[in-house]
Amino acid sequence: MYSVRRKCFTPILFVTAALLLLVASAAAHAVLLESSPSLNAAVAGPDVPIKLRFNVRIDASRSRFTLVRPDGTTTPLELAKDSPADTLSARASGLAPGDYRLRWQALASDGHITRGEIPFTVART
Amino acid sequence: MARLLQIFGFLSVLFRGATLTFQSLTVGGIVFLLFVARDSNKHSNDISSPDSSALRTSCLRWIRRSALALVAMQIAYVLANSLILMQSADMTLADVSGANYVLAGFLGIASALTIAALSNADPSRSSALLLLPAAAVIASSVMTSHAMARLDYRAPLVAFTALHQAATATWLGGLPYLLIAIRSTQSTDFARQLCARFSKLALVSVCVLASAGFVLGFAYVGSFRAAYGTSYGAMVTTKLILFGVLLLLGALNYQLVRAGSSSSILSSLKRFGEAEIGIGITVILTAASLTSLPPAADLTNDRVSAVEIFARMAPRAPRLGSPTMQELPEDIYAAEKKAFDSGSLATESFVPGQAGTRPNTPAEKAWSEYNHHWAGIIVLSVGLLALLAQAGRVSWARNWPLAFFGLAVFLFLRSDPEVWPLGPNGFWVTMADPEVLMHRIFVVLVIALAVFEWRVQTGRVASANIRLVFPLLVAVSGALLLTHSHSLGNIKEEVLAELSHIPLAILAVAAGWSRWLELRLPSENQTRHLVARLWPACIMLIGVVLLNYHEM
Repeated sequence: MYSVRRKCFTPILFVTAALLLLVASAAAHAVLLESSPSLNAAVAGPDVPIKLRFNVRIDASRSRFTLVRPDGTTTPLELAKDSPADTLSARASGLAPGDYRLRWQALASDGHITRGEIPFTVART
Repeated sequence: MARLLQIFGFLSVLFRGATLTFQSLTVGGIVFLLFVARDSNKHSNDISSPDSSALRTSCLRWIRRSALALVAMQIAYVLANSLILMQSADMTLADVSGANYVLAGFLGIASALTIAALSNADPSRSSALLLLPAAAVIASSVMTSHAMARLDYRAPLVAFTALHQAATATWLGGLPYLLIAIRSTQSTDFARQLCARFSKLALVSVCVLASAGFVLGFAYVGSFRAAYGTSYGAMVTTKLILFGVLLLLGALNYQLVRAGSSSSILSSLKRFGEAEIGIGITVILTAASLTSLPPAADLTNDRVSAVEIFARMAPRAPRLGSPTMQELPEDIYAAEKKAFDSGSLATESFVPGQAGTRPNTPAEKAWSEYNHHWAGIIVLSVGLLALLAQAGRVSWARNWPLAFFGLAVFLFLRSDPEVWPLGPNGFWVTMADPEVLMHRIFVVLVIALAVFEWRVQTGRVASANIRLVFPLLVAVSGALLLTHSHSLGNIKEEVLAELSHIPLAILAVAAGWSRWLELRLPSENQTRHLVARLWPACIMLIGVVLLNYHEM
């Protein structure tokens, strides 16, 4: 993301009309309300249930979870089909202790995509 | 891929705004045809009125054009979304084809094509059939609204959204057709008759859209604090202000129809109609940007408080001294380029507990405030000189557009300190950064605009149409500034920055359209003298807002 300082300079150019469109940016409106694991949480392995709850209905069949392992390799996770309308859930199995990242992409019912990343740690037991 | 995702937000708002605009023009035209342009000659004794058939043909032609434009925008919207989804989630075309937005898009395309086909038929035939595909167009739009994605009260919210959009289309989408109709006649009686019918229709529409808007506002904003403490709430408030301006223009039209002098009434009605259409499109663009923001009611944390807003907006002495380049963090450009290359610039999202943008350092804040304050001084000077020029007492004041050269030079030097000529990064290397490139294009545009308007002010341009370029650009820039909303979460700094952008946008819209009216209204219309003073005052106020810009 660009620094706020530079973003704020843009409106000074109120006389320059149409090209302002090209810096217009809009984010999707599905907002992650809560997650398990939560951000930077330490969880017990080797099996980790994953659940993300949003503020709106999510198209689960067109949303994605990808697990980034400590060595940088990625594994797509299969999303559960019986989750509530606002929730995406999956189960990551056989995780060795270490630092992981969950990359998620959610498609809201209105066609907007939201993406994000949740780092978490599988603790040694 | 990263660049593709980065422009997704831009494309999304652009196509959404265009879709809502053409949807309003299509549906508004159909309603106008059925309820205002019906049997016009039956009630008119004036033989100079155009006959019903000519008016219907004209309306049908514009309905067809709007419907075809709507088809093009819907296709673009569905294609852009599908492309992004296929690329980002490794899906096939078959995978994305069942998505809700695709189904909604197909419904919209099929309905608009049906309207285009039906409006090509014999104008003497009944147009009531067009109402069915018009309702389907509204339904397709509602399918991709906030209401469809809500968890609670989905059905009533869908119904109120449909009412809100249909009423907006009837009122704002019908206005251009009123303009077309009264432009095609020289008969004051005929124009009065059309305006009277449209006024009744507009009155009902305004009541419906205001009532539905109140319910939707209650559901999506929920509290007074959310109305000013979140991006969504602030944009809804902006819509309300613009709505008030539209009602004011509507009242002026109503007064004209009732009591205006017949010699200038037609011309005045047309000019007010033009301004109403422009501000109406601004409202629609604001609505388009709202669809890409999460409802305020969902963002209960980190709202900006009234105390924080007052602390930010409280008057303070402007900062006229800049920090040195050495005081700025050295890694701004490198960090941004790295983030851009890795695609993380596009992954804007909100995770509970996660910080948003990196806070600006004190030197960066001082740099930004210095930029705003000097820009404010230049813009304030522009407004003041324009006001003096209007008064006609200081002849050299009409050269006020040349002050924009100062803004261009200032922007060129200060907007991107890490780039040539001040920074270590070379001219061509940094042209790959979209924002730097954009600032460079702005510089060229500001210079072009300065030259252009200076030629107009000093009488070097004779064409009446060319004189409209400046007000149009100012009004359009204000409208586009309103689509430039950016916070997914309640990142306080971004919400506060947006709260300072909104007055700039509203003032720019007011300045643009008041200058437009000054140029277009007939000389005997008294409002012309008022708007002639209004637009320089708005430009001065923009300067004052910039002068009072602060970061904390």
